[in-house]
Amino acid sequence: MPKIMVIDDEPFILMMIEDKLKRAGLDVVTLRESTRAVEKIKQEKPDLIILDWMMPEISGIEICKRIKQDPELADIPVFMLTAKGQEDDEKLGLSCGVERYITKPFSPRGLLELILERLGNR
Amino acid sequence: MSDWETDRLKEDLRLTIKELSKTYEELSLLYRLTEQFSGATVDELCGMLIDEIKKQLNVETIAVMFYDKSSDLLFTKKAIGRWNSELNITPQSEFLWKVLKKGKSSTICDVSTVSDLNRLGFKSVILSPLIGKKKTIGLIIVSDKKDGNEFFAGDVKLLNTISSFTAIFIENALLTEEIQEFYLGTIRSFVKALEARSLWTAGHTERVTHYALAIGRQLGLSEKELERLRICSLLHDVGKIAIPDSLLNKMDKLDEKEWEEVRRHPLIGAEILSGLSGFYEVIDCVRYHHEHFDGTGLLGLKGEEIPLLARVLAVADAFDAITYDRPYRMRRPKSFAIEEIKRYSGRQFDPQVVKAFLNWIESSDNIVVSNSEAGT
Repeated sequence: MPKIMVIDDEPFILMMIEDKLKRAGLDVVTLRESTRAVEKIKQEKPDLIILDWMMPEISGIEICKRIKQDPELADIPVFMLTAKGQEDDEKLGLSCGVERYITKPFSPRGLLELILERLGNR
Repeated sequence: MSDWETDRLKEDLRLTIKELSKTYEELSLLYRLTEQFSGATVDELCGMLIDEIKKQLNVETIAVMFYDKSSDLLFTKKAIGRWNSELNITPQSEFLWKVLKKGKSSTICDVSTVSDLNRLGFKSVILSPLIGKKKTIGLIIVSDKKDGNEFFAGDVKLLNTISSFTAIFIENALLTEEIQEFYLGTIRSFVKALEARSLWTAGHTERVTHYALAIGRQLGLSEKELERLRICSLLHDVGKIAIPDSLLNKMDKLDEKEWEEVRRHPLIGAEILSGLSGFYEVIDCVRYHHEHFDGTGLLGLKGEEIPLLARVLAVADAFDAITYDRPYRMRRPKSFAIEEIKRYSGRQFDPQVVKAFLNWIESSDNIVVSNSEAGT
């Protein structure tokens, strides 16, 4: 079963994504503390990572950079959740290896479709 | 906490997440629609509305009906699937009319009870009103899911969310169209009043507008630019209002001083229009429509310093001036006009515009409307 890791400091977003993905038969690991992200990713070795951009302490972009610098993790696709109006910042993020941007509020169903599509193309 | 209580809390949480998830789904939909719908025309909105409903509800037939106040009936604005676009709905069709009048949606599980829809062979139908802030726009009819399932309460709620949201946008777009028609109408009346002063100029503006738009299309201008070109063309000779009748209708050639006066009409036109803020591009076009490409015109603007629309207008204007009668000379044949315009390409006219003009004229016959058709 493919494993998806979701990292976001908003509990509701985490619960919502977890619920949606689990119903679709995916394995889901969630995390609220961005400081532990890299360590946890190393431990869990997920098939895809969903990162929130704006988190206290360490941003999603910073985490993504660290993932991409680690040869062991660099191949894991990263989807980034962004707030509305951050489109300009996307250019910054693209260079650090984010595969896809998803603007909040996003459609949970749409997110699931994107994940399944990406996993299908592995 | 007892096991029972824990279980109940877990269940509550699960349901809350489910509910929140639905709300979030709806919220994201509305965000997306806001972006898509901004600035769209009524036809575009109806198209997007149908696409969205098709995607969200997975249905076969969708019809957007608009209410026409003067005839008191609903007509088909746009539809897909098994729908008869000729079908109008009148107040006799009580069941459907109720949705419109009460502004509440309605779901019909057994369509055989509604004769108008029964004929189309539907199984079940949802009707949702399109109501703006001030206006009843019409209603949406949605029928039969592709997977054969019945409609659920969630489908109705989703359809209502989409339709009430879209209605506001349609209402605004209708209003914009009305205003646009009104101001184009105003400009046309204004131009007619101007042309009424002189037999010689009657129909000139409409013909120039026609030619300018044809050239503009050849140049690949966007719809927005074409619309601006239309307004420029309609208004280009407004300044002639300040030219005395004795000059406009003079049978002899104008002398140097008189010619000087007539030549100033673009400046007067721009001055007259200067109060219309937001029209500055149109005003510039009016001001510069007699500039010469090589810089030898009235104000000495050169090449691309002259706005493109003004360069287009210059060719269209010259073509009509040559091929129509003037008080001081008879009209010349089309072939003569073409040769003249070619001869002045790069001097008076922009070669790129002349090329577009030639392309257009070669691809169309009988474009020069005869005097009687011009409504003199």
